[in-house]
Amino acid sequence: MAVEEKVVSREFKKYIRKPVADPGFDETVKKLTTEKIEKTINSVLKGMSTRVRAALETCIHCALCSDACHWYLSHDKDPTYSPVAKIRMTLWEMIRRNGKVSPEFIRQCARIVFTECNACRRCSMYCPFGLDIAFQVSTVRRICFLLGVVPQYILDQDHSHSATLNQLWISQADWIETMLWLEEETRLEYKDLRLPIDKDGAEVMWAPLGTEPKISTYHIMRTSIIMGSAGIDWTVASKDGWDSANMAHFIRDVETHQRIVRGLYENALQLKVKRLVLTE
Amino acid sequence: MYDFIKDPSLYNLVRGPLVWVAFLIFFGGSIYKIKTLIQLAKNEKVVFPYMSIKYTLRSLLHWLIPFASRNWKRRPMMTIITFTFHIGLVFTPIFLLSHNILWYESWGISWWTLSEGLADFMAIIVILSCAFFFLRRILTPEVKFVTFTSDYVLLAIAFLPFFTGFLAYHHLLLPYKPMVILHMLSGETMLIAIPFTRLGHMFYFFLTRAYMGSDHGFRHSIDW
Repeated sequence: MAVEEKVVSREFKKYIRKPVADPGFDETVKKLTTEKIEKTINSVLKGMSTRVRAALETCIHCALCSDACHWYLSHDKDPTYSPVAKIRMTLWEMIRRNGKVSPEFIRQCARIVFTECNACRRCSMYCPFGLDIAFQVSTVRRICFLLGVVPQYILDQDHSHSATLNQLWISQADWIETMLWLEEETRLEYKDLRLPIDKDGAEVMWAPLGTEPKISTYHIMRTSIIMGSAGIDWTVASKDGWDSANMAHFIRDVETHQRIVRGLYENALQLKVKRLVLTE
Repeated sequence: MYDFIKDPSLYNLVRGPLVWVAFLIFFGGSIYKIKTLIQLAKNEKVVFPYMSIKYTLRSLLHWLIPFASRNWKRRPMMTIITFTFHIGLVFTPIFLLSHNILWYESWGISWWTLSEGLADFMAIIVILSCAFFFLRRILTPEVKFVTFTSDYVLLAIAFLPFFTGFLAYHHLLLPYKPMVILHMLSGETMLIAIPFTRLGHMFYFFLTRAYMGSDHGFRHSIDW
């Protein structure tokens, strides 16, 4: 077995991790220059949300948010996993150095904000000031996204969203085809069950996650059985914008994020449905 | 003020003009900072439309009452110390007898005052709490990791007025007059520092809680 290597941060000696290979980090940071980083960071910081500004000017560095974090708790209370520590190692440092940070530093930031924080906002419930810590993490995610330093699998899905409005490169033909054969198979057991596509004026438009037609089609079967048995007047949209997954949201690709949400609402409006039901 | 013009000594400076300067900067600066933050928040799409008085008060109440929130319950020692510290920090200077005498002499106003013994006790609490916060910064790993020099400076700004006031009252260490000069200087430093440093959490607390309380209320969840 190979000797266990360790990554020690240049800036923060306590930040020690096992090496992780991800082309989304390793290859992308090679293309970065310090000028580009500085420009990007400063442009994001200039348009920084007031909620982030208020948090930066209020945080008294008490670390009472630590116990909220499952990363912190599950790593034997390693201080580098504390929510405030994640801000300290990313956003505070960027501000302190006026955006003059190295590509390696951006790689470290990306690792922290994408792989060591779920942005669950539990820390805000433990913070005496109710500061929006996850939103600060999001700000750093936005910087990393604009620099292209994003875990590869999630960036690929974001590209899929950008091109097809669904998460997993599913063509419209594939999507309709999947719904049709699923209807056929489900009807073997549940007679007369329908998987209605584009039913005008239905009560509910159901928007699955892209993974459902792609990988776990049995979810669609079960949903249709539940809807059918409950007697709900439902439908799905055939046009792009049928997928409620939004990976763009997680990496703060706000432009694609917005297009996905708009696609869903436009479909719902066109089908004149009363309610939009999403898979969670 | 007139004393300083008649006799421009250091004592008269810190007792006269500097008090004015400190109070003006404190009130002016605080109002300015609060107004700017509210103004900036109006540009945000998701702050004001979701603001709710009910959820704001609900949130504030749970965090202003000791042991009312989950995190206060989980850390009883921190809760007791931080609450007594903040009560002492805010109310001792306002209701101190000698301060009241001073502004009665200068501006003709005064109000209810604390007994000298109680005020002394509260000052001691503040001083000991500062020692606790200092030790916490040094000894607790997660706090140490996010501690900057500025954190020690802020702690010193809060500590010195009480420490020097306590020493002056008991005539310890230095003669009364130089100690009182130090006391007034440190007090004025604190007033000036509040709007422009993270000590501004004194006001921002209410604003950030209002946002988070309303946000959680809107989602039918609680933030304590």
